[in-house]
Amino acid sequence: MVVGAPAPLGVAIVRALLATPGIEHVLGVGIETDAGLPEDPRVDYRAVDLTHPRALHDLVWGDAKDARIDTVVHCMQHRRGSDRGRRIHAQNVEATRGLVVACREHPTIARIVYRSFAEVYGSTHTTSDLLDEDAALDFGPTAPQWVRDRVEADLTVCAQLGGRVAIAVLRCAEVFAADTGSQLWDYLQSRVCFRPLGFDPMINVLSLDDAARAFAAAAACTATGVFNIPGADTLPLSRAIAASRRAGVPIPGPAMTPLYALRRWIAGFDFRYDLNLRRFHFGGVLDGTRARTELGYAPARHVAWP
Amino acid sequence: MASQIFERIAQHAPFHDEGHGFDVFGLEPHRLARTVEATAAVYERYFRVASTGAHHIPATGPAIVVANHGGALPVDAAMLCVDILRRSDPPRIPRAIADHFVPRLPLVSTLFARLGVVSGTRANVRRLLERGELIALWPEGVMGPGKPYRDRYRLAGWRVGFAELAIRYGAAVVPAAIVGAEESWPVVAKVSRARAFGAPFLPIPATPIPLPTRYHIHYGAPLRLGGDADDPDVVAAAAGEAQRELERLLAEALAARRSVFR
Repeated sequence: MVVGAPAPLGVAIVRALLATPGIEHVLGVGIETDAGLPEDPRVDYRAVDLTHPRALHDLVWGDAKDARIDTVVHCMQHRRGSDRGRRIHAQNVEATRGLVVACREHPTIARIVYRSFAEVYGSTHTTSDLLDEDAALDFGPTAPQWVRDRVEADLTVCAQLGGRVAIAVLRCAEVFAADTGSQLWDYLQSRVCFRPLGFDPMINVLSLDDAARAFAAAAACTATGVFNIPGADTLPLSRAIAASRRAGVPIPGPAMTPLYALRRWIAGFDFRYDLNLRRFHFGGVLDGTRARTELGYAPARHVAWP
Repeated sequence: MASQIFERIAQHAPFHDEGHGFDVFGLEPHRLARTVEATAAVYERYFRVASTGAHHIPATGPAIVVANHGGALPVDAAMLCVDILRRSDPPRIPRAIADHFVPRLPLVSTLFARLGVVSGTRANVRRLLERGELIALWPEGVMGPGKPYRDRYRLAGWRVGFAELAIRYGAAVVPAAIVGAEESWPVVAKVSRARAFGAPFLPIPATPIPLPTRYHIHYGAPLRLGGDADDPDVVAAAAGEAQRELERLLAEALAARRSVFR
């Protein structure tokens, strides 16, 4: 069962699962009525709002049980960084908590693969350039809801590690593609990209194909725990701007937040500098050693720059 | 000569390219090579660096060069790294370990990263050693540049973390005595209240630019530190062994030089 199937990442995961030998049935789940999933007799789709406990219960103990689902891949997080509020929190955190709890005593579900984010790590000047799974999480009280929700959901799933259901939490680098909620993708849509003067951090981005491959690998194996999923592209921010054929203009850091708030307000873009402030100063690249040794995942596909 | 240096660093020194010409820490060998070329006159003519024992730097595998530290700004660190780049055979890129406040410095943090400098977190150093890289570090830390002139060449606040990592990862420890640096740019005062960008103090040097003292760099034979890396006594003893060896090298080098400027 792929929760969040209509999103670009969900569709890519469904495709990767269908290409995996031994997969008999894929049940896609999402809020949207039209999922746009691949035409395949092994694929079904249910439109369910998981923020409603009854709907969630009926999905897990009804459709999933009937279809003898054994693995749940959960990648349904709200994507827009500028949205906030209780409804967003319910989708990001409460639905995740409800899903994991509902699966705990389920007769057929034996494995959960949860999509988490590199942004849960609190990157500062004292943290390592290379972030392994033991790196400190961002518990900053001033962190935006987008980050706080992701940290809370990550820990909610991690709290269930060691139980009957085998859980793999994949902390993915930023999936760099359109409509994935990628802040960097949105940032690079402008012809001129401002960056903080004096800083050119190393960033790492993940292609949709690599992300889907990582989820398919995690779904197919029995490894449990937290795994960092880096992408194949590690480069300075200035090079990412140049690769996208944009003009990079360094400006003093304090001017970045109001400038990009104005851009968001006037043109409806989603990029928020406060979400990316630490990354744009100190960088932080995921260390994928554990995923390579235990999941057999190594990044291979480069992203397509806009 | 200059193009030979460029070729040596940019083309022959081992480097973990992440696919875009940079390693994961931001090192860009071409930028490093161009910088070493551009500053050749500082190394050759201004400080007239004389170096002995570079053959002690291991050709491959994890290794840690530990050196004394002094002066208002880390000119000694730069000269040591340039010396290693020029004289190690086969060429190796030293990864200088910087204090935690360096990543907060605009421009400097980016420049340092491109030249191979790495912030001194435990995980960073561990990863470098796991990759078999050559590390250069100054166990005195910021205490070195903060030393009063009368304490030059006396090792201050010797930290032990490098010894633990050397034991754990089987890294050879090469002591390197740098003589000339601690007279080159003495600090007359420290402004502890000026904690700009997290730096512990702002050094006030005696002269606006470093004096053209002659640098003498002496590398000692590599030390193989052994024992239980988790035992604090073993680690302290190993760090002490490296400290004593460096003090011996410093004493020899000081006795051998004819004057501060020769």
